[in-house]
Amino acid sequence: MWDAALVALERFASLSHLGMLLAGVLAGTVIGILPGLGGIACVAILLPFIYTLDVHTAMVLLIGSLAVVHTSDTITSVLIGTPGSAAAAATILDGHPLAKQGQAARALSAAFLSSMIGGLIGTLFLTLSLPIARPLVLLFGSPELLMLCVLGLSFAGFLTGGAPLKGGLAACLGLLLGSVGAAPAEAVYRYTFDQLYLADGIPLVGVALGIFGITEIVDLLAKGGRIAERVDLGEGWLQGVRDVVQHWGIVVRGSLIGVWAGILPGIGATAGSWMAYGHVVAMSRDKEQFGKGDIRGVIAPESANNSVEAGDLIPTLLFSVPGGAPAAILLGALYFYGIQPGPRMVQENLDLIFTIIWSFAFANAIGAGICLFLSPALARLTWVPFGRLAPAIVVTIFLGAFQSSQDFGDLFALLALGLLGWLMKQLGWPRAPFLVGFVLAKPTEQYLWLSISLYDLEWLLRPGVIALGLLLLASIFWMMFEKRRGKQRPVEESSDEAVLLGKAPSVLFTLCVAVVSGAALYEARSFPYLGAIFPVAAAVPTIFMAVAQLFFELRAPGMTSGFETQAKIRKALGYFSSLLLLFLMIWLLGFGIATALFTFFFLYASAGMRWFPALIYTGAMVGVALFMGWLLGLYWPQGLLLGLYRAS
Amino acid sequence: MKNMRFKARPPMRWLAALGLSLALATQALGAAPYYEGKTIETIIPFPVAGGSDIWIRIIGPYLEKQIPGNPKFNYRNIAGARGIPGMMEFAMKAKADGFLLLVSSATNYFPVLLGDKAAKYDFRQWKPLLVNPVGGIMYASPAAGVKRVEDLARAKNLIYGGISAIGLDMIPLISFELLEMDARGVLGFKGRGEARLAFERGETNIDYQTTPAYNAQVVPLIKEGKAIPLMTFGQLDEHGNIVRDPAVPDLPTVPEVYEKLKGKKPSGKFWDTYKVFMPSAFAVQKILWVKADAPAEVPAVFYAAAERLEKDKEFLTKTDKILGGYPLLRGDRLEKTIQQAFQIDADTQRFVKEWVGRKYRVKFD
Repeated sequence: MWDAALVALERFASLSHLGMLLAGVLAGTVIGILPGLGGIACVAILLPFIYTLDVHTAMVLLIGSLAVVHTSDTITSVLIGTPGSAAAAATILDGHPLAKQGQAARALSAAFLSSMIGGLIGTLFLTLSLPIARPLVLLFGSPELLMLCVLGLSFAGFLTGGAPLKGGLAACLGLLLGSVGAAPAEAVYRYTFDQLYLADGIPLVGVALGIFGITEIVDLLAKGGRIAERVDLGEGWLQGVRDVVQHWGIVVRGSLIGVWAGILPGIGATAGSWMAYGHVVAMSRDKEQFGKGDIRGVIAPESANNSVEAGDLIPTLLFSVPGGAPAAILLGALYFYGIQPGPRMVQENLDLIFTIIWSFAFANAIGAGICLFLSPALARLTWVPFGRLAPAIVVTIFLGAFQSSQDFGDLFALLALGLLGWLMKQLGWPRAPFLVGFVLAKPTEQYLWLSISLYDLEWLLRPGVIALGLLLLASIFWMMFEKRRGKQRPVEESSDEAVLLGKAPSVLFTLCVAVVSGAALYEARSFPYLGAIFPVAAAVPTIFMAVAQLFFELRAPGMTSGFETQAKIRKALGYFSSLLLLFLMIWLLGFGIATALFTFFFLYASAGMRWFPALIYTGAMVGVALFMGWLLGLYWPQGLLLGLYRAS
Repeated sequence: MKNMRFKARPPMRWLAALGLSLALATQALGAAPYYEGKTIETIIPFPVAGGSDIWIRIIGPYLEKQIPGNPKFNYRNIAGARGIPGMMEFAMKAKADGFLLLVSSATNYFPVLLGDKAAKYDFRQWKPLLVNPVGGIMYASPAAGVKRVEDLARAKNLIYGGISAIGLDMIPLISFELLEMDARGVLGFKGRGEARLAFERGETNIDYQTTPAYNAQVVPLIKEGKAIPLMTFGQLDEHGNIVRDPAVPDLPTVPEVYEKLKGKKPSGKFWDTYKVFMPSAFAVQKILWVKADAPAEVPAVFYAAAERLEKDKEFLTKTDKILGGYPLLRGDRLEKTIQQAFQIDADTQRFVKEWVGRKYRVKFD
C-alpha cells in the first residue's frame, strides 16, 4: 500500500503535475468565491480540458479544483452574508456578524485555517480507513441512515434561538418546500401545479442564494453605507490563527463529523456543515454569542465542509456510489477513462487512488494558503461603499442561480425566496432551520420510504436504530434541560439588528403560513399513502404551531414603527422592485442588454457614481458575466422583444 | 462484439452504399465536404458526466476524425425534468441541415410509451444515426435459496431494489410477473449503485446491473459466492427478435428462462409488455439522432464513420468500457426496429398503466 503512495507522490515532482494542480486550485478558488457556483460549475468549466489529458493528470486537475471550492466559498459568506455555495451557508451565521463588527480578517483566517486542517484530517482518515471502509459502509442500512437524517434535523432545534416556535415553523416550512416535486419512487408529483420546472423540486442553490443572499443584499443596501462601520486592520488575521489553535478540539470534531457525513451516502456537504455547527452550539457552555459573531461558529462548519469531500471519496471509489454532486462528476470522469470504481479498485488502481488522495491534501494546503494570504486584502472590501459592490454581486447571483437548471424558474424561485427570507428576517424568524429542513427533506423522506417498504415497522427494532434513537432522545433532553436552566440564549442570525416589521404584518405572515400549510394538507389527500406521509408530517405540526404563534402575536402589544424604520422598509421594497425589474428585463431584452442597463443605472442613479466610471464598470461587468456564461455553457434565452423584432 | 449478428438487409445496404458513393463522388468532383469547417451542436438531455453525456463525449472526438471535413462537436446539456425540456429544445430548434443532433436514452422513451402528455416530441420525425445497445444482467443472493436459475420458481419472498417503476426498473419488474416469481420491487433508491449496496447489505436479494457495472461490481461478489448470476434481458437481432446478450453469452435470456420453467413459449399480456419496453430500455438504449429531412450525405457520413470505427483498434480498446461491450451500430440497420420500439398499441398501454398503478401505486395524470 505504502509503495503505491510513494509512487503517486513521486509524480508530483514533475512540473506538469504541479502545474495542473495549481491550475485546478486557482480555478476552484475563483469559482468558489462566486456566489452559487460550486463543485459542479468547476467541473463543467474544466471538463473540455479534462477530456484531452491522461487519467492521472486529469484527476490532479479535477481534485485540485474540487478540494478548494469549499475553502474559498467562505469569502462571500463572511464578507457579504451570501453563500458562496450552498454548503457555506452555515458559516454565515457567525462569520458575517464578525465582518460587520470589522473582524472580517479574523473570521476569514480562522475559516481558512480550520478548512485546511479539516481537509487534511479528512485525507488522513480517508487513507487509514481504506482497508476497513467496505464493511463500515455496509453497516448502515436505510433505517440507520434515516435516523442520522432525523438526528441532523433535530440539530435544527439548536438553531432556533430565542424563538423556538418560529424556529420549528421555519424547519417545517423547509421540509414542506423540500417535498415539492417527485416523491421518492416518482410515483406521484407533488405541488408542481403542472409546471415541468417543479418536477425535480427547487434547486438547493436557488434556495440558499435566495433565503440568505438576496435578503442580505437588500438589507445592506437599505441600511446604506459600508458593510462594516469600523475595520480592525493589522493583526486581525493573526487573531484568527490563534482562535483555531485555541479551539483545536472543535476542528478535530468538526472534521470527523464531516468525514462521516461524506462517507454515508445521501447526507452531503451542506448537511455536514450544519451538523458540525449544531454540535458546537450544543456542546458549548456559553452560548450567548452564537449568531452574533462567535468564532467557534465559524471554525466548526469550516472544518467540516472540506473533510466531507474527502469522506465522499470512499463510497465513490469503493462502491461507485457518489455521495454528492461533485463526486458524481468525478465518477463520470473515471468512467470516461474506462475505470469502473469498485472493490477491485484498491488492488488494480491503488496508485490512482493515492494520486487522488495526495492531490486532495496538496490542493487543500495550497488553496488555504492562497486564501489566507489574500484575507487581509479581502477584508478591506467591507470598507467599500456597498452600493458599488451590489451590481456585481447581484449579477453573479443571478448567473449562479440560473446555472442550476437553466430555466427562468431558477430566477423566479431566487426572487420569491429572497422576499420570503427578507420577511422572515424582519419578523424575527430564524432562517437556518428553514434551510436545514429543506436540505434534509429529500434524504429523510427517501430513507423513511425505503425503511417502511423494506421492513414495515420492524426497522424500529434494529440495534443501530435504537442506539441512534437514544442519542436523539439524549440530545432533545439536553436541549430542554439547558433551556430550563436558562442557559440557552438566542442563537439567531444577525439578532443584533432590530426587526423592522410590526404587529400587523407579523399576524398576516403567520396567517399566510397557516393557510399555505392548510392548502398543502388538503392537496396531500390525493397522494398515495407513502407519498403523503411526509407532506402531512410537515404540514400538520405547521398548522398547530402557526395557530399557537398567531395566538401569541395577537396578544402581544402593538409596536409603532418610527419614521426611520418606515423609510428603511420603503427603501428595501424599492431595491426588491429593481431586482424584479432586472428579472423582467432579462426576460424581455435578454441577459446581456439587461445586465448592462441594470448595472449602469444602478451605479449612476443609486450608488451615485459618475457616468464615465459607471460606464467602464458596466462594460467590464458585462464582459466578465458573458465570459463566465460562455465558460459554464449557459444558454440565456433570447429576449422576448428581440425575438418579436426578428420575427417581424 | 464479434459474435453479434447485426446485418443490414440487402436493400438497406444498397441504399447506404449509394449514399456513401454519392458523398464520395461529390468529394471527388472537388466540392468541399459537407461538414468542412462546420460545428455540430449536440443536445444532451442529461447532466454533465452522466451515462449519456460520457457516451457522446467519448465517441465525439473519433467522429470528428472520421467525418470528412473534420467538423467540431459541441455539447449542450439540458438536464432535468425527465429530459423533456432537452428533447423539446431539439424538436423546436433542429433544421433540415444536420448541424443540430440529439442524444437520447431510455428516460426519453418511457414517457412516450406511457402516453405522458408533457412529452410532445415525435421520434418519427427524426432519423437514428448511431445506436448503442446496453445490457442488463440479473443476479440473486444465495441466501434467498437460489442456487441456479431453475430455483426461481420455488424461491420465496424475493425483494428487488429499484429507482422508479416507470423507468428501467420496469423491465425486471415485468420479468418477475412474466415468470410468476414471488418477488416484489421496493422503489425509491437514488441509483443502481445504491440499490446494489442494499443487495450487499442483505436488504434486498435480487438485483440487476448494466454490463459495465456488473463486470466491475458483481463479478467479484460472484467469485466470493455472495451472488448467483441468473439471466439477461437479451438483445435484438436484425429482425427484432430477442437473442442472447453477446457480452454474457453463457447466461439465458428472460424468455429462455420462461421456457425452461414453464415448458412453453412465452405469451400473454406481460410478454407483450416485455417485448414493447425491453428494446427502449436496453437493446436500442443510446441513440444519436438527426432530423429526418436532413440532406442525404448527413446520415451517409455517420454510417461510413461507424463502419470505419468498427475496425479501428484504438477506438475499440479505448471505448470498450463505455460502450459496455457492445458495438456502435449504424442507425439505418435498426431504423425499423427503433421506430417500432416507440410504438405501443392502446391495449398494452392501458394494461401497463393499470398494472403499475395498482401494484406500485404510480399515479398518472
